[in-house]
Amino acid sequence: MIYPEKVKAKKSDKIIKILIGVSIGIAVILLLINKLTTPSIPWAALANSGILYSWVVVIYSIKKNVNIAGHVLLQTIALSMLTVYIDYKLGFKGWSINIAIPIMIIIANITMLVLTIVSYKKYIKYAIYQLIIVLFSMLPIVLMTENMVEEKTISMIASGISILNFLLCLMLCAKDMKEAIIRKFHM
Amino acid sequence: MKNKRENKLYWRRLDNSAKIFPISAGKKYSTVFRLSVVLKEKIEPKILEEAVNQALEKYKSFQVKMKPGFFWYYLEHNPKLPIIEEEQDYPCKYIDARHNNNYLFKVTYFQNKINIDIFHSLTDGNSGTIFFKEIIYTYLELMHPEVLDEEERRIRKIDYNTEDSYMKNYDKKAKSNASGKKAYVLKGKKIKLGARSVIHEIIDLEGLKKESKKERVTITQYLTAVLIYSIYQENYVKAKGKRPIKVCIPVNLKKFFSSKTMSNFFSYITVEAQMKKDNLDTFEKILDFVKKDFHKRLTQEEIIKTMSTNVKIGNNPFIRPIPLVVKKAIVRLSYLEIRKYTTTTFSNIGRIGILGKYKDYIDYFLMLIAPEPVEKIKCSSCTFENKMVFTFTSILQDNRVEKRFYEFLKEKGIKIEIESNGVLDDISRKSKSKEK
Repeated sequence: MIYPEKVKAKKSDKIIKILIGVSIGIAVILLLINKLTTPSIPWAALANSGILYSWVVVIYSIKKNVNIAGHVLLQTIALSMLTVYIDYKLGFKGWSINIAIPIMIIIANITMLVLTIVSYKKYIKYAIYQLIIVLFSMLPIVLMTENMVEEKTISMIASGISILNFLLCLMLCAKDMKEAIIRKFHM
Repeated sequence: MKNKRENKLYWRRLDNSAKIFPISAGKKYSTVFRLSVVLKEKIEPKILEEAVNQALEKYKSFQVKMKPGFFWYYLEHNPKLPIIEEEQDYPCKYIDARHNNNYLFKVTYFQNKINIDIFHSLTDGNSGTIFFKEIIYTYLELMHPEVLDEEERRIRKIDYNTEDSYMKNYDKKAKSNASGKKAYVLKGKKIKLGARSVIHEIIDLEGLKKESKKERVTITQYLTAVLIYSIYQENYVKAKGKRPIKVCIPVNLKKFFSSKTMSNFFSYITVEAQMKKDNLDTFEKILDFVKKDFHKRLTQEEIIKTMSTNVKIGNNPFIRPIPLVVKKAIVRLSYLEIRKYTTTTFSNIGRIGILGKYKDYIDYFLMLIAPEPVEKIKCSSCTFENKMVFTFTSILQDNRVEKRFYEFLKEKGIKIEIESNGVLDDISRKSKSKEK
């Protein structure tokens, strides 16, 4: 006998599939209750967006190889999308793009700055995420040029911090950043 | 500064063959092969873990994880240690990096057997065997330090690199003569729930050698002919097949070019048997055809043509700048069609040479390759001492091809034994009880 009698499939995948099924079930039930009881207030959509956000974070976290800079990037983008969605569902007062997104960008940049200073030797692992965060941080400027932002100060601070952060990283770790770009974009 | 240099992250591009595997691989197309050794003693998991870690220290090219770039995947240093587990799943399953500390190979054990499942992007069967042998040597040295001394082995210098030998040796002007005809696809009901059948036919090498010598063919040619004959008798005739039976035979390019790479460096030839057109209805006719077809295709010139054509695809200036996500979508959509140009694959990695005293602890080696939705049966073989193990991995519910192969060799007077993972035994037991 050179093989085990019963070979088992990985259980963890099955558990995740069951939990996703349960989540979809809850989402449908919430939508039904919302429609039958208070159709004028879209609370089920808000709750479901929370469920979706949780899953994005959970599935990303399961990937053990994701580094901390990857988490910062994911949280920044996913939370930005969530706040825009909630704002939109509540009649779009603009607080998501005026305040929430710039604040998240500031936090993300400060986190990246701390990461760079504390462990700049590992910077090569963070470089590509840093670049994407910098690109994402230009969003407030794009929104400003499109005249979609009323509160411009905080948006300018967010993009400014991001540019400063990027310049500092270039000074500290330009070689690593170049190396990361070669690695990611090799043809 | 010195510290910083030490921390520089090791990475390398995928070799030309390896590029396609992560783009196309998934649960159905795992592109994983397995090497196993059956020892004469029970495996000690802790010692095995230590042996794998020590082997990795010597073969750093295996201590990597796969990362997506913007245009291609690449390999990057993996600081974690591999996970060693008792065998639970079917062999050659898709290696999910999330459950494996991101490694592209998986070492498992069961009773007297050690397995290593390797994702083809990492390396080919030949270099995989070198790494696996290092694990086995180290394991046996740790188990029997009083008898086996690593010092004896140290005399042999470990000399390898990870160059892309395809790029070094391909011919820009060469054009392949490969036939564009689709192949006969094996018919039959598939095994459910992702299970796969494994049947090992343990053949007496001396008997097989005598028989092949008598027919003036090599062992690979002889077994290819038996395989085509078995498919013809048990699947092709019954399903009234029309297309040619095409058998893909991987070729180790290190035999043709000087290369010390631990990356992939293989090509293949495709034996194309037009059963009706060439009237190949007896074993003798098939054997004669296989012998001639091998002579025609297994030449350095032909091998370079096939290899160069594949290199040129990966190097095409229009393909290279396509973003990875788009490449993935295109390849996955077309992969089922691409695979229809082969009926089955037969990979013979040949003799696995083991140093003197170490042989005493080893019973035999196994090699397995993953079957796919189109190539429902795949075959592989390897030899240790006087035991050649020919393995069928299959997702078909019936094992008539495997049986015919066994009976044919038996009728020729060659000693042969069977080992299996019991999947088809279970299915036939269930269908018998249903009939009652």
